[in-house]
Amino acid sequence: MVPGKRRAAVMSFSLAILGSLMLQYVSSQNEPSIAASEHVILPMDIHSPPFSLQCNLTSGYSSHVDSYWMKNGEEIPESRSQNKNTEHRLAKPRSDDAGVYMCVFTFETSPPANATIEIKSAPEITGHKRSENRNEGQRAVLHCKSVGYPHPVWSWRKLDNGIFRELDNTTGRFFINSRDNYTELLIDNLDINIDPGEYQCNATNTIGTHEQKSILRVRSHLAPLWPLLGVLLEIIILVVIIVVYEKRKKPEDLQDDDDAAGPLKTNSTNNHKDKNLRQRNTN
Amino acid sequence: MPPPATSNLGYTPPDGGWGWVIVFSAFISIGFSYAFPKSLTVFFKEIQEYFSVSYSEIAWVSSVMLATMYAAGPISSVLVNRYGSRPVVMVGGLLVGLGMVSASFGTTIVHLYLCVGVIGGFGLAFNLQPSLTIIGTYFHAKRPLANGLAMTGSPVVLFTLAPLNQFLFDSFGWRGSFLILGGITLNCCVAGSLMRPVKKTVESTPKEEALEFNGPEEAAPEVSTESQSCVQRFIDISLFKHRGFLIYLVGNIILFFGFFAPVVFLAPYAKHQGIDEYSAAFLLSIFALSDMFVRPATGFAGNTKWVRPKIQYFFAFAVSYNGVCHLLCPLLPGYAGLVVYAVFFGLAFGMLSALLFETLMDLVGAKRFSTAVGLCTIIECGPVLLGPPISGALVDAFGDYKYMYYTCGVFMLVPGIFFFIMHYFNYKKLDEEKHKAAVEMRTAEDTVHLNIGQKDKSEDEVEK
Repeated sequence: MVPGKRRAAVMSFSLAILGSLMLQYVSSQNEPSIAASEHVILPMDIHSPPFSLQCNLTSGYSSHVDSYWMKNGEEIPESRSQNKNTEHRLAKPRSDDAGVYMCVFTFETSPPANATIEIKSAPEITGHKRSENRNEGQRAVLHCKSVGYPHPVWSWRKLDNGIFRELDNTTGRFFINSRDNYTELLIDNLDINIDPGEYQCNATNTIGTHEQKSILRVRSHLAPLWPLLGVLLEIIILVVIIVVYEKRKKPEDLQDDDDAAGPLKTNSTNNHKDKNLRQRNTN
Repeated sequence: MPPPATSNLGYTPPDGGWGWVIVFSAFISIGFSYAFPKSLTVFFKEIQEYFSVSYSEIAWVSSVMLATMYAAGPISSVLVNRYGSRPVVMVGGLLVGLGMVSASFGTTIVHLYLCVGVIGGFGLAFNLQPSLTIIGTYFHAKRPLANGLAMTGSPVVLFTLAPLNQFLFDSFGWRGSFLILGGITLNCCVAGSLMRPVKKTVESTPKEEALEFNGPEEAAPEVSTESQSCVQRFIDISLFKHRGFLIYLVGNIILFFGFFAPVVFLAPYAKHQGIDEYSAAFLLSIFALSDMFVRPATGFAGNTKWVRPKIQYFFAFAVSYNGVCHLLCPLLPGYAGLVVYAVFFGLAFGMLSALLFETLMDLVGAKRFSTAVGLCTIIECGPVLLGPPISGALVDAFGDYKYMYYTCGVFMLVPGIFFFIMHYFNYKKLDEEKHKAAVEMRTAEDTVHLNIGQKDKSEDEVEK
């Protein structure tokens, strides 16, 4: 190969590499980069101090429009601003503030860029039925609702001789439906001998665990009969007492009537033997 | 001297003695009649879920019961006139018990309408009218006090039944509760068995007083069962010519439109203002307590010698006071304002309830009271049923409770003023009639005594 041609080839080759490097450099200059704050883990049981999630748009890109925050895939209202440094403040952080947060920056001529910050917390059971009363043969539903992130794994246990045991589903009447932050335990065809008692729902995730108990009571079909018989007995006793009292008074009443009739009629002038005593009826 | 009012009945009412036992049994009967339909609302949510119906369909159960109780009034009156109070109340108690027990086995909502609503309603009607009537037969001088005490049954029984029903519901579910309530309502039978017919110790009146002047309280001759036509035996249409009765009826029809609605909407109004459920329920308890204590007090006040002769004015005052309360309610701010309103409204409600039937007895007299109250209740049935839904419609239309309160206030203030004016004229007319009759009586008495004097003289002469 001619030495001049070789030199030209090397030069064009290095130019190409340089060019592509420069292109990469320039384009990486155009890609926005976001400096975001760290992932947060909320402490269990004690109140966390207030903090903020921050996102700074570095790499000075000029066609930036605005920025907003999203929580768990939905936009947080009133979080839109024009700033390159945007912050989402949590004044009183609670378990239900946990979730996946995203700060999103929109641009005129490029697709939006985002960064993800996770706030994790131990699960906290916020909704459950304290007690459930059902008749035997009916279906009972116990449920638990929680807040916290990541979504917990649910389990149900029954209090048996002082310790909570796994549910025994040999009879096939227990059904557990769980999803994300909600679980329910369905018991079909309640049996008054084995089903009543304390049940516990347990929510566990990578940070911590929480449980709540519900009491299930099963009423027998014949339960209201005893009070009813008691009430009927009370009524029969009262009526008997009253009737007996009336019957005892009746003969006395007849005597009283004869006695009472006498003096009342003395106002009439007809009965007086002494005709001189003429009484005007002065009522 | 004009004949005393007692001679209207033809006998002297005991005004005590067994009468107080009667007041107690009327207390129980009236208590169940008014409080029972209201206390059933505790079960509605569960029954609604069980039968998968809407809330308004389940609320009909209470409405049907109340409507039947008012509409069956004339039937109750007829039976009381024929058989006396005791058998009717006992049958009433049995009907309610039967209705509740059969409702506990019901499989559709229509069963509940029929068993609780219709049969239960009839039973309660057979409890209400006879209890009111028998008080009129046992009391005259102390009648306002007896009426006030008997009407106290309503808030007291409601106060007892509400938590009891909640307890029964938690322990036994709605079917078991209905079964047990059926037993409990049989206590009305016990109350009825105490309602011994009054012993009519006849005061023997000289023949001259058989002039059949029945006093200012009855403008028409007595209803005697033999001489009247068939219809008039059962429904005394001549009452519609009675001045006092007409005044009472017209005023009542208007006031009942605004009577119950404020009670129904007290808790929702509180919740609408942002007050929590328990405090809102507490308002109702305050109202019930205030109501409970003012009824006997009103009865006592109505009995005093200053109020008794002009008791109609007292009633007119109570009605107007209700109206003023409702008109002022929207102006009272916050929870404290609502508490004050609940206390004063309780006073007003209790006063009105205690005097409601006493004034009717005062106007038509104890003999025709049974028929009068039957006619009144069936005519009042309409306003009682329509009042709360109309108020509800007002609230929905304006989105604000104050217009409803203003309307209810007007509905009560207008009859109050109407009563004041009309009874002023009525009292004047009654005084004129009494005066005229007294003059007639005196001349008649003098004539007869003159005759007796002559007869005695002639007998003396014969003896001698």
